[in-house]
Amino acid sequence: MKRALSAGPVLRRLFLALLGVFVLSSCVSMPSATTGLPAPAAPAEASATSASTRSSLTTESTGSHIVIFHSNDVHGKIDNFAKVAAILDAERKSGADVFFFSAGDNFSGDPVTDLYDPPGEPMLELLGRLGLDVLTPGNHEFDYGMGAMRKFAARFPTVSANIEPRPGAFPELRPWVVLTAKDGTKIVVFGLIQIEPDNKIPSTHPDKVKDLRFSEPLAKALEMKKLRASGQVLIGLTHIGHEQDLLLAKQMPELDVIIGGHSHTRVDPAENVNGVLVAQAGADGFFLGRIDLLLKNGRVVEKKGRLIDLSQARDEDETIKAMITKFHQNPALARVIAKAPLEIAGKSALGNLMTDAIRQAHNLDIAFQNNGGIRLNRLPMAITINDVYTLEPFGNLIVQFDMTPAEIRSLIKSSWEKRLEIDLQVSGITYIVRIDSARQVKDIQLSNPDGSLLAEGRTYKVGVSSYIASSYKFAHQDPGRSLQTTVSEDLIRYLQSGVDLGVYRDVRRASWEIAAKTSRN
Amino acid sequence: MQVKVNEKTIEIFAGARVRDVLRKYSRAEWTLVRKNKKKVTDPYGHEVGLDGELNGGESLVIAARAGAEPHS
Repeated sequence: MKRALSAGPVLRRLFLALLGVFVLSSCVSMPSATTGLPAPAAPAEASATSASTRSSLTTESTGSHIVIFHSNDVHGKIDNFAKVAAILDAERKSGADVFFFSAGDNFSGDPVTDLYDPPGEPMLELLGRLGLDVLTPGNHEFDYGMGAMRKFAARFPTVSANIEPRPGAFPELRPWVVLTAKDGTKIVVFGLIQIEPDNKIPSTHPDKVKDLRFSEPLAKALEMKKLRASGQVLIGLTHIGHEQDLLLAKQMPELDVIIGGHSHTRVDPAENVNGVLVAQAGADGFFLGRIDLLLKNGRVVEKKGRLIDLSQARDEDETIKAMITKFHQNPALARVIAKAPLEIAGKSALGNLMTDAIRQAHNLDIAFQNNGGIRLNRLPMAITINDVYTLEPFGNLIVQFDMTPAEIRSLIKSSWEKRLEIDLQVSGITYIVRIDSARQVKDIQLSNPDGSLLAEGRTYKVGVSSYIASSYKFAHQDPGRSLQTTVSEDLIRYLQSGVDLGVYRDVRRASWEIAAKTSRN
Repeated sequence: MQVKVNEKTIEIFAGARVRDVLRKYSRAEWTLVRKNKKKVTDPYGHEVGLDGELNGGESLVIAARAGAEPHS
């Protein structure tokens, strides 16, 4: 199945004829002129797939039968794409009219994709070979910056109705597209992205989307009702979470299908809500969604959706498999990103390094790292990305709380009471835990780097890992917010900035003492 | 933001994922989920991934995984 972008049917036919490689069987039209051409689908190589991937429609197929495969929240995990390719290819060979949709968050979550040079390239290459027909951006599509997002959107039709770019900021984006099936059936697809209630932007770092404005997705969707007249099938391709998808279905029965993402929900089989089929395919590429639509007399008369468990799929496309193997041999992971004049060793030195990186990345006053999250005893003098991911393998996000000194003390007290020893490494301040003979906390002294005490009336910007934020019991008036980067990402940037690593000797910023007698842990 | 787990309201930072709110809800239940002895679903019974991103007002249910031995 080949698809092409065009300004209209005439240009499309001319373009395809000149290319001379595409079968003129289908097209995509968009609300306004655009350039860009999706990469051709992978050559047919895979054998027929298992019966479990076949249609479950039972109606006699005297009408038009359309198959839509869909994925969401793959988060950089490419390992199952050879199986996806085999399934798509087998279906295409069967003569069915096959489409492949992505409901967002293809990026962020796996170093093979995230740390490729350029970032995300494995995902773009593989989705190109799979013949992706349309994409709606998820919040993590922006994690690599607008450059990577625009590169993605230049390659695949990209839709989102509630993203409103400043002029020139994102010209590749369209609110909706019309896909045309072999028999001329028009499939109208509009996109939606989630936004955070407080800052009205998707869950990514605000700097990444500073040239974009966002509106409420469900309100914007109502404006898309007008598209019902533009085709025989109307689909919402969303990245707003399953619960929001259910609300969308209830408010918009004009839709035939909602293909969703964001909440990582395994909806199997797809639900019929208010006459709308609502689907979502879990996360991390473990499942592939399949929707079968049967149309008669220009309208959908039967629709079903289910998930294909890729762990049970046997066939793999050998070409795609070879590409995946190549991407896993990413030399960037073993490349030295920083050289230290000494091995950085011990919880204190490593914790100092990690918390300095967090604090600098987000312009925070203070950052904490728990000892349990430091998984190496030492970093070598030649530090690679692999070393960083071994040091902090959990992918914990950074969470900011605006905290008073009293609240900071409650966090430190909580950490001490877990193991009756220093547990939190710190940047931006030093602290001393004063305990009694039973090792119970009597007082915690918080000092600035110059030795002065913290101002009790002031609020400090404090960064902690999402593990600390959710596992430690501490007082905080501020409910906190994810800063949408991980400890590892911040540390990689910090190391690449050329900072002097000679300072990371065994300098302890956190200590404890009994009565007036100081004892280091 | 607030998220409900087994009908209990949990106050959690904005941008939290399923794993974050489970850790805050109950260390013991989180351990069982992490060991694949229990699963997390939405109110409609659909399993959700541990890295699933949450919006305020959502609800989660921790349920026994089919075939798993009851936790004593």
